[in-house]
Amino acid sequence: MELSLNNISFAYEGDMVIQNIGCSFVSGNFYSIIGPNGSGKTTLLDLISGFLNPCAGHIEIDNKTILSLTKKEVSKKISIVSQDYSINFPFSVKDVVMMGRHPYIPRFSHPSMDDFVKVETMLEVCGIKHLQDRKINELSGGEKQRCVFARALCQDTPILLLDEAFSNMDINHTLHMLKLVKQSIKEKNRLVISVFHDLNLASSWSDELLMLKQGEIKAFGNSQEVLTQQSIKDVFDVRSTVEFNEHVQAKQVYYSTNI
Amino acid sequence: MVFFSLFLVLMIITSLSLGYINIPIKDIITILYGKITADLQILKNINATWLAVIFDVRLPRILTCAGVGAALAVSGSLFQGILLNPLADPYTLGVSAGAAFGACVAIILNLSAAYVSVPLFAFMGACTTLFVVMFLSYSSKNPMAGLSSNNLILSGIIVGAILSAGISFLKFIANEQVSVIIFWLMGSFASKTWFDFQIVTLFLLIGFSVSIFYARDLNLISLGAKSAASLGVDLKKTNIILLVTGSMLAAVCVSVSGIIGFVGLLVPHMVRFITGPDNRKLIPLSMLAGASLLLFADTITRAVLPYEIPIGVLTALTGGPLFCWIFKKNRFK
Repeated sequence: MELSLNNISFAYEGDMVIQNIGCSFVSGNFYSIIGPNGSGKTTLLDLISGFLNPCAGHIEIDNKTILSLTKKEVSKKISIVSQDYSINFPFSVKDVVMMGRHPYIPRFSHPSMDDFVKVETMLEVCGIKHLQDRKINELSGGEKQRCVFARALCQDTPILLLDEAFSNMDINHTLHMLKLVKQSIKEKNRLVISVFHDLNLASSWSDELLMLKQGEIKAFGNSQEVLTQQSIKDVFDVRSTVEFNEHVQAKQVYYSTNI
Repeated sequence: MVFFSLFLVLMIITSLSLGYINIPIKDIITILYGKITADLQILKNINATWLAVIFDVRLPRILTCAGVGAALAVSGSLFQGILLNPLADPYTLGVSAGAAFGACVAIILNLSAAYVSVPLFAFMGACTTLFVVMFLSYSSKNPMAGLSSNNLILSGIIVGAILSAGISFLKFIANEQVSVIIFWLMGSFASKTWFDFQIVTLFLLIGFSVSIFYARDLNLISLGAKSAASLGVDLKKTNIILLVTGSMLAAVCVSVSGIIGFVGLLVPHMVRFITGPDNRKLIPLSMLAGASLLLFADTITRAVLPYEIPIGVLTALTGGPLFCWIFKKNRFK
């Protein structure tokens, strides 16, 4: 599966947020988007998921524009873990994860045996089985985020978008979830695009990096090539040292304390 | 569900027997059975006054009341779902103020002689308000931020405040008609006809079918806009359809029976403690519970109390403290 963005632009009330972006993503890879606050990372994911429509250009999945697909078809192709994971009503964790199966369940029928099995295994592998009967609005931020993550994985789509999906998880759970994602890329040939703030996590887990600044692509390519002292200086305006780390087998960034 | 339906039927029968003339429950059942099976033999043996009391006075009032209770509760659960706010009620968007304003205009212009004008004006007032509120909270430049719950609640409050001031002004210039306005605003089911019942039932059926059809999307909406959209919910369409449905239900209720508070807020809240937040169970059960609750209140003012208190006052006076108790008990356990 190939996802391609053809010269897309997007503006909120006149302010250009995304400017003429063209690139393509291929399944079986983990892509990370990095960039400073307000550089258009979330907007880019919203455009890909079809939540926003580009002002110019178009997005294609396997050479078919997203606009030509129905919302239902898109929901079977793309799932998203969004930044906003607060849920106001006391749904149980199990119910929330089951909502990930809704695109496959006809409106007035009950979930099938298969759906129940999928939810059950997802609760298990995400390590939230012990929370399954708890109310979602009574959980901590990190726990909530894991439930919403499980919900998106349960949607079982070829494309998975992660918008700072690890922001509230501790390091143990972050690594556990990243491992799950990596595994599903291998096994199901998924395409994952994730927004990261932690450059080191982005570098060690992703195959390719996309650097965004003021709505434009500053660099896009192999993680080890993109991540350099110069590119970090250009995009984030911080001084750093970038070294290849034997232990994680990837480049890591160290920031100097005298800014 | 079965329990609630049985309870409602029992309540209707009990309520039929109570009143200025007490009719034994056994006879009520016989009369209803006779009417349903169209068995003239049974009806012949029954006191003609009783028949008139039941079919011309009590039954239309009771059924209208149950219908309004049901519609208010469904409307309340819809608003709480769309606005992602368990504090929302059918009147959050200013629909009641709009209806009240319309009714006041009709009363002041003395159109009530034409019989249907007051409800009709109330309904028009409610609809106009809804469209003004939706217009205020929608922007074609930034469609994503449009119709968000904050925008809707804020515009509802602003429009409601303006209309309330308008109502005060109308009361000020109304002279002797001010009492008519005040009584209309307090709500009542006295002298409701079969026509009122038919109107309420028609809208209730439509509203209920629409809400059940979209109940699952309403569940997904509570995950947040982006997640709901990625699960295949057409947000804009669903939001507009459900907002219009909820407001229409509220508008019909207000125009038939005046402003009756607390049912739309309280019932979905209490039912949520039983069914959980799943709208597919919440909406039907709220409907039955709302009908039972309002009928209970109306039977008390009609048959138990020595004077008939306006139903809107009674629901707020009893529902309010009850709500406080439930709120305190469940929030902090």
